[in-house]
Amino acid sequence: MADLVDSMLDLMRRLPPTKTEENVASLIGICPDYADDLLGSVDQPLQVKTDRATGREYLACDYNRDGESYRSPWSNEYDPPLEDGTVPTPKLRKLEIAANDAFDTYREMYYEGGVSSVYLWDLDDGGFAGVVLLKKKTMMPSASSEPSGSWDSIHVFETAERGRQAHYKLTSTVMLQLTIQSDDRTAEDKEGWKREGEVTLGGSMTRQTEQDWPIHDSSSHITNTGKMIEEMEIKMRNLLQEVYFGKTRDIIYDLRSLDDLEKTRRQRELQKELVGFIRR
Amino acid sequence: MEPHERIQAACEFLLQSPPGEINDVLNDVRNIISDDELLQEGIAPALKKYNLAQFITVDVPETNHQSIISEAARLSVDSEEGQTQERWLDPRSMKTFVFDHMALEASDPQPFEPNEEFEPFRTALQKASLNYLLGHFYDGVSSTFASQTTPNQYILQIVANKYNPTNFWSGRWRSEYIIDLNDHSVKGSILVNVHYYEQGNVQLSTTHSISIMLPPAIVTASPESAGTKILALIETEEGSYQKSLNDTYHEMSEKTFKSLRRALPMTRSKLDWDKVLGYKLGAELSSSKGTFATGFT
Repeated sequence: MADLVDSMLDLMRRLPPTKTEENVASLIGICPDYADDLLGSVDQPLQVKTDRATGREYLACDYNRDGESYRSPWSNEYDPPLEDGTVPTPKLRKLEIAANDAFDTYREMYYEGGVSSVYLWDLDDGGFAGVVLLKKKTMMPSASSEPSGSWDSIHVFETAERGRQAHYKLTSTVMLQLTIQSDDRTAEDKEGWKREGEVTLGGSMTRQTEQDWPIHDSSSHITNTGKMIEEMEIKMRNLLQEVYFGKTRDIIYDLRSLDDLEKTRRQRELQKELVGFIRR
Repeated sequence: MEPHERIQAACEFLLQSPPGEINDVLNDVRNIISDDELLQEGIAPALKKYNLAQFITVDVPETNHQSIISEAARLSVDSEEGQTQERWLDPRSMKTFVFDHMALEASDPQPFEPNEEFEPFRTALQKASLNYLLGHFYDGVSSTFASQTTPNQYILQIVANKYNPTNFWSGRWRSEYIIDLNDHSVKGSILVNVHYYEQGNVQLSTTHSISIMLPPAIVTASPESAGTKILALIETEEGSYQKSLNDTYHEMSEKTFKSLRRALPMTRSKLDWDKVLGYKLGAELSSSKGTFATGFT
């Protein structure tokens, strides 16, 4: 019997990305013992929350969750408040604050809006790990025929220092969702003619990389992961462009041809005959 | 979760299966529920619902073609023992058969007596649709039914599938047209589903409905000529829909995608991370968004 978690992950890789949250909830209902495995390995759309102390928006995911509460990277406070919620050590928190500032700049430069959050935590072997989250939604469209969309980035990394070098393991997931509705009642001005529809293009892609970078002080971790994540997002943006707008479109054309296939077949036959005729 | 809730959840998963992946989903679900006896009984209705909705195709016994399993193909036949048996119609060969929704196999073919009144138009429509299928679909199947409930109403269904698990993608095109010669209307719908799952899970799902009125010239023409003309109308509609999807892709890529994340910052170069660390710009920039763009150009 295959591993249960593998089956759950395979299932999540097949079911519609637009229903990830409901399906994860169902799976947890069926196998409550595997809730942590599932929540830790299935990426779900990031939730935007507002920090009560500073009024700033932050992103909630499994990495800043403790029980039912989420920690804000701005105030370091849990909401709903927790007496003994897990927080980074003072040294790591200092780095976390700087990382949040740095990735907030990154966010503004590339996303020109949206929300970012960085969470760090200590690892048992002395290193540390972190997650960089970015989320952007398009403005509410003025007309329903305007497309709407959202982008969620989840970059999870682990690092271990080796002398003046550090080794980084980065796993990046980008969730991209696009929707457009069309309603065309005026087509050709014919009475009773009507066409309407909806196109949803959504999902997620994941990529991994491992790299070594030099370190001078602890802030080197921010510049190193910053460069890695920037490079990764550029790569993934190209990949998404290719898969979303190229690959899925090509598959439609593998199902149905705009040109008349019979005509093409007849032309090919004719060509064959001609070639045969010339050879004779 | 109670057993019936587990089955309910399993059925929901099955109904969401991407084209050609129902067996993969079923394998996962079997492993997750790990109670085959409970599952086998419980999911039968969901499998049937899925097959009907997805226009699942089947090899028709004693023929060389496939037909579509759908609501329009469903027949309730009274057997000699006085029980009703569910059978499925292939209008092309005028055969009915028993269908196994789990194994996806047809058996026990029997001849079917159609209503002769509607046969001339139905066969004309069928002939034209098979020609259309050859012209525009790579692996298409179509079935043309005379409605069992409304006289002089015809149902034309088309499905085309491409499954490519080695390259992690699959696709399905479904279309259905209800041609009503009583009020001269054609009501159609086109559904396209694409799944791409190499190191990810990306799905395209489109719905499109069409409502058109048949010109009088078509209605009064001979069945042969009307069938050809109706399929020409469908060809135009499906062609322009496929072309309009190109515009949708363009719009999504050029407008939405670009507005979500830039390829490079306004400065046209990557970030200088050493400077970024010193800046503490982010917070200030967010609070004065409008002036930021002009500040950098």
